[in-house]
Amino acid sequence: MFNRSAHALLAACLLTAIAVVNAPHAEAQEPGEVSVTFSGITAPKGALFVGLYDSEAAFAGGQPAQGYQLAVTGPSVATAIKGLKPGRYAIKVYHDIDGDGRMNTNAFGIPTEPYAASNNAPSTMGPPAWADAVFEVGADGATQTIGID
Amino acid sequence: MDRRAFLTTLAGTSLAAITPEAVLAASAAANPAWALAVGDIEADLAPRGLRLIHGRAPKGLAGTLYRNGPAKFRRGPGAPAHWFDGDGLVRAFRIGDGKASLAGKFVDTFKRRQDAKFGALVGPGFAATATAGATVRNSDDSNAANTALLPIGGELLALWEQGSPIALDLETLATKGPKTYAPDLAHMPFLAHPRIEPNGRVWNLGVAGHRALVWTLKADGSLEKTGMLELPRASYIHDFTATARSLVIVLQPWIQDKPVQPFAASMSWRPELGTQVLVVDKNDFSKRRLYDLPAFFAFHLGDAWEEADGTIRFDACTEADASFAARGGSQITALKMPDTQVTRLSFITLDADGKGSLEVTALPAEFPKTDPRFAGHGRMKTMVNTVGGGPAKPFLQGVAVSDWRTGKADVFDFGPDHCAEEHLFAPRPGSSRELDGWLVGTSLNLKARATELHVFDASRVSSGPLCSWRADVPLPVGFHGCWV
Repeated sequence: MFNRSAHALLAACLLTAIAVVNAPHAEAQEPGEVSVTFSGITAPKGALFVGLYDSEAAFAGGQPAQGYQLAVTGPSVATAIKGLKPGRYAIKVYHDIDGDGRMNTNAFGIPTEPYAASNNAPSTMGPPAWADAVFEVGADGATQTIGID
Repeated sequence: MDRRAFLTTLAGTSLAAITPEAVLAASAAANPAWALAVGDIEADLAPRGLRLIHGRAPKGLAGTLYRNGPAKFRRGPGAPAHWFDGDGLVRAFRIGDGKASLAGKFVDTFKRRQDAKFGALVGPGFAATATAGATVRNSDDSNAANTALLPIGGELLALWEQGSPIALDLETLATKGPKTYAPDLAHMPFLAHPRIEPNGRVWNLGVAGHRALVWTLKADGSLEKTGMLELPRASYIHDFTATARSLVIVLQPWIQDKPVQPFAASMSWRPELGTQVLVVDKNDFSKRRLYDLPAFFAFHLGDAWEEADGTIRFDACTEADASFAARGGSQITALKMPDTQVTRLSFITLDADGKGSLEVTALPAEFPKTDPRFAGHGRMKTMVNTVGGGPAKPFLQGVAVSDWRTGKADVFDFGPDHCAEEHLFAPRPGSSRELDGWLVGTSLNLKARATELHVFDASRVSSGPLCSWRADVPLPVGFHGCWV
C-alpha cells in the first residue's frame, strides 16, 4: 500500500523531468548515438518529455544532461540522441498526455500520466533507480526500447 | 555467491530435508480442519450446475448472488499472503427456475499478472512489502480487487480499498479494467464499502492518512461529484456508514503514525485515544460533529439512520482491539490460529446533544447486512454471520437476523463442519416490508469439501434453509457480495 511519504517521494523525483526541455544540450566531444524507441503508448497525443542523465545524482533529482520534447501521434515514438561521449547514462521519460507541460498527479500525489526509465527499470513504490536504469554508451552507441503505458 | 555455490548450499540444507514423508508429516500436523477456508484456487471455474441437497427453491426467487474474496495466497517459496492480499476470485451463483449454477473468474489484475510472471508474491499489500524489481507505479499496480462488488451502470465493479474499482462484465465476469472517472482521479482509493441510497445514488470514501476523498456516483454509475474531507486522525477506515443526510465515519484508534512498509506496520493501536465518530453533512462538509466513544475496533458497520430529534443510530461488529487486522490475517493463511477477539454485534447511538454511546451485545457477529431498501432510514433488522469463532476454528458457522426492537436474534447454526459466509437479502416480489423475503448466502462445508448455497426465509432463519445446493468444489471463504 502507498503511504504519504511514498507519494511525496515519487512525485518529487519524477517532476524534475519537467525541466528537461530547457536544459542546455551537452557539446558533443566524440560521436556516440543512442537509438531510443518508446513503445506501448496507449493515448496517441501530447508529448513525451525525455531527460538523459549522466550521473546518479542528477538522475535522482538534478538537471538532465540533455532534454527532449517529442510529439506523440501513435503507439510508439523513435528518436536518436547523437554526439554523446562514451560513458554511463540513464533516461527518464513521462508522457504529457494532456499537453499542459506538467506530469500530473492525483490529489494524493500518485502520478496519473505514464512514466518510465531506460532498461525499463522498475518503479517499486518510488522512482526508478539509477542502478537499474544505467546503460553504457560506447563507440558503437547504444539502443534502448522503453515501454511506457 | 556463484550459481554453483548456491546450488551446493541448497542441496546441503533445505532440499535434503524435504522428503515425501517429511512433507506428509508436516502437513498432517500443521493443517487444521479449516485449512480449506484459506486454500488456493488455481484456475477460473467454468460454469457448472449445483446439486440440490435439501428442500426446494422458493417460487419467485430469481437472480444472481455475486461474491468476491481472495482465493490465491501462495506463490513461490515465501510465506503465504495475508488473508486480505490474496487474488480476488469473483463467483456468480445464479438461481432461477428452481435450479442453481456457479461460475468463477479471477479478476485479471496487474498484481496477479506480475506475481504469476515472477512466480512469487512480489507486490506490496496490507502486510507485504514490495520485492525489489517489482513494478509498483501506483496503487492499482498492487490492487488485488478481492474485497467486494458493486453492480452499477451495467457493470460489476470489483472493489478493493486503496485503488480503483475494476470493471467486470456482469455475464462473463471478464475483466474490463480499472475504472477511471476523470483523469485526475486515476488510481485514487475507493473503499470496498460504498453506501447506496435507496434511489441508487452511491457515496464512498477514498482514504489516505488524514484526508478522505468523498465519491458520489449517480445511480447510472457515472460520477456526480467528488470532495475532499480533512479527518481529525489517520485512522484505519475499512467501512463507513451514512444516514439520508450525513456521512458517519468511525475513526478507531488504529492510527497510521509511522512512514514504514508494509501498511499494517505503519499503524499503531492507541486505545487511550478512544474511538471517535465524525458526522458530516452530505451537502456541506463544513457542517461536522465529532463524538467520543470508548476504544473499539470494527471492520464493518450497518446502515445508519437519523431520527427526528437528530439522534443517529447504527450497528457495528466490534472487537476489543486491532489484533486480527495487525496479525491475524497473516496467521490464518499460515494455518495458525489467529490472535483475535470475538467480534460482537454492537449498537451505537449518537445523541443530538453531542454524547455518544456504545452497547455491545453478547451475539458473536460479522458481515452485517441490512435490507438495502431502508438504507439511511429507520430499520430494525440486521443480518449477520454468527455462532462459533472459538479456538477450534477462526470462522463463524451460523447465520442470524437480529432485531433491535425485541433484542432477539433468530439464529441458525450450520454446525462445526461449516464456515458461514455473508448472507444477503433478496426481497419477495411485490412486498416492501423490511426484510420480507429471503436470505441468500453460502457456506464452506469442510467435511463435504464443497461450497454450498443456501436460501432462508428471512422471517424464520432458525427453521433452517428452505433449500441448499452443493458445488463440486470447495472455495475459500470469501468476503462480500451483492444480489442482482
